[in-house]
Amino acid sequence: MVAAMTLPKQKVAMETVELSVSYNGKPALKRVSLAFPANAVTALIGPSGCGKSTLLRCLNRMNDRIPGVEITGKVMLNGEDIYARRVNLTRLRREVGMVFQKPNPFPMSIFENVALGPRLHYGLRGRALQEVVEDALRKAALWDEVKDELHKSGLALSGGQQQRLCIARMLAVQPRILLMDEPCSALDPISTQKIEELIVELGKQYTVIVVTHNLQQAARISHYTGFLMYGELVEWGETRQVFENPTRPETEDYIRGRFG
Amino acid sequence: MMNAVQSGSVRTGEWESLAARQDARRARKNALLTSAFGAVGLATVLLVLGLVAAIAYHGAPTLSWEFLTQPPREGMSAGGVGPMILGSILLMVGAFLMATPLGVFGGVCLAEYGERSRLMRLMHASVAALAGTPPIVYGLFGLAIFVLKFKLGVSLLAGWLTLTLFCVPSIVLTTEAALKTVPAALIDGGLALGLSRWQTLWRIALPYALPGILTGIILSLGRAVGEATPVLFTASIYYTTAETTLGWETLRQPVANLPYYLAEGYRQPGVVPERLIWGACLTLILLTLLLNAGAILIRSRTRRRYLW
Ligand SMILES: Nc1ncnc2c1ncn2[C@@H]1O[C@H](COP(=O)(O)OP(=O)(O)OP(=O)(O)O)[C@@H](O)[C@H]1O
Ligand SMILES: [Mg+2]
Repeated sequence: MVAAMTLPKQKVAMETVELSVSYNGKPALKRVSLAFPANAVTALIGPSGCGKSTLLRCLNRMNDRIPGVEITGKVMLNGEDIYARRVNLTRLRREVGMVFQKPNPFPMSIFENVALGPRLHYGLRGRALQEVVEDALRKAALWDEVKDELHKSGLALSGGQQQRLCIARMLAVQPRILLMDEPCSALDPISTQKIEELIVELGKQYTVIVVTHNLQQAARISHYTGFLMYGELVEWGETRQVFENPTRPETEDYIRGRFG
Repeated sequence: MMNAVQSGSVRTGEWESLAARQDARRARKNALLTSAFGAVGLATVLLVLGLVAAIAYHGAPTLSWEFLTQPPREGMSAGGVGPMILGSILLMVGAFLMATPLGVFGGVCLAEYGERSRLMRLMHASVAALAGTPPIVYGLFGLAIFVLKFKLGVSLLAGWLTLTLFCVPSIVLTTEAALKTVPAALIDGGLALGLSRWQTLWRIALPYALPGILTGIILSLGRAVGEATPVLFTASIYYTTAETTLGWETLRQPVANLPYYLAEGYRQPGVVPERLIWGACLTLILLTLLLNAGAILIRSRTRRRYLW
């Protein structure tokens, strides 16, 4: 519906072009063209089932393996379509990290959870590996809480800590773009606040794309907001403008709580 | 009063008496089921314990270091069962070394590709059928193929191959089942981190499934070590009074082993005294108990490490 919009001077990190997705012939995303500005937080909002997760999972090709899925259109990253034939998924996902709605730490120690990525991707060991792990845990605002028990199981942490561990695990791979699918929806208010602060902080260095059901949260943490409905991109713009001065009546209704 | 509202044909104030009736019904059912399950469970445990106790009662007096290490003497009528124990362990170790990689690899293949390909579904069905095949069939197959066709003779090697065949199907099935318990969220986490499918399998899924896989392997070996029929025509001798010497040539020689000793010893009354049979019986039970204890230990240790 809305053509890809980019603000002048704002560099684009990633862009979808006429992206459509269907599951077993049933469309979930319809010709979505959307640009994600670099080093900023973009929020994706919309009613349940409107295709937010589908869109997010297209950005690192996590939808590929779902049986019956059909994807058309392009997703541009560094001037290349990530759906082109010869794209290397490992390289793509090294650059585009992801955390999920439910924290999913691996059944291994805190250290191993974070170390796995850099060890496999960059062959780091010993001191260098420890430094990367510490750095990632610090960026995820978890270091102070776990620095004395790095060898404890990652599953022994609280839900909020587990989610930050998953964020640290993602950061340790050194991505530039971070995808987060409702990262707070399984968490208590205090953990949620911590993660929100973290997202704001990460938005300074990374391109963050976050799906959320919580409109206040989107307003608090994002610079840009995209509003999806029935698989279509209804509105996209600077968060303040989308919330205070939406151009479309559907957006207005949704934000005023008159829908969904 | 919990529900004070009229709904449908149920009137206000009726809810509580309806609930009370259901509560009483549930309590009766619970009491009945608890006692039924308790009784059956207790009976099962007593049966097993009684069996073990009876064997221990008859066999314990015979157990001694001599009995466990010395070969039979005086035409099998005295001495110990050292060569039988050694033979059983040899058979088991060889089967373990060969069946584990094959079984685990097969299980990984089925779990990874099982749902999509028709060939793999067919494989799964055949493996399941093989796992339910009576051990004597493996024994005869081993005799026909390894002993006769490949001309290995009745030998440790032929026994290994037969026992491997016997163990692989159940290891494949337990490995596949254990891998299927790995939460999809973990696999997604690995893939989203940029790991390849094999890396995800090797680094995340296999460690998660390891206790289940190891338990499957050990249980399968436990079954194998107690079976006489797979090794009956392929690897066994009954009459032995010599110390077993280990060497390359052992591979081509038949070995004594506990289940076959028990079967033959009992079939030819008057040769082997009953107390030796009881002793060997107890030894075999202890050997399998030891294996199972190992399985439990592995499970609890890994569980503690991963905190499930
Ligand atoms: N794996 C799948 N197989 C089939 N259909 C799917 C699958 N995943 C999503 N869908 C369908 O695609 C549509 C969009 O789903 P999606 O998960 O993207 O919505 P969402 O906006 O993330 O919703 P929510 O806010 O509830 O998470 C829905 O109609 C859903 O039923
Ligand atoms: Mg979703």
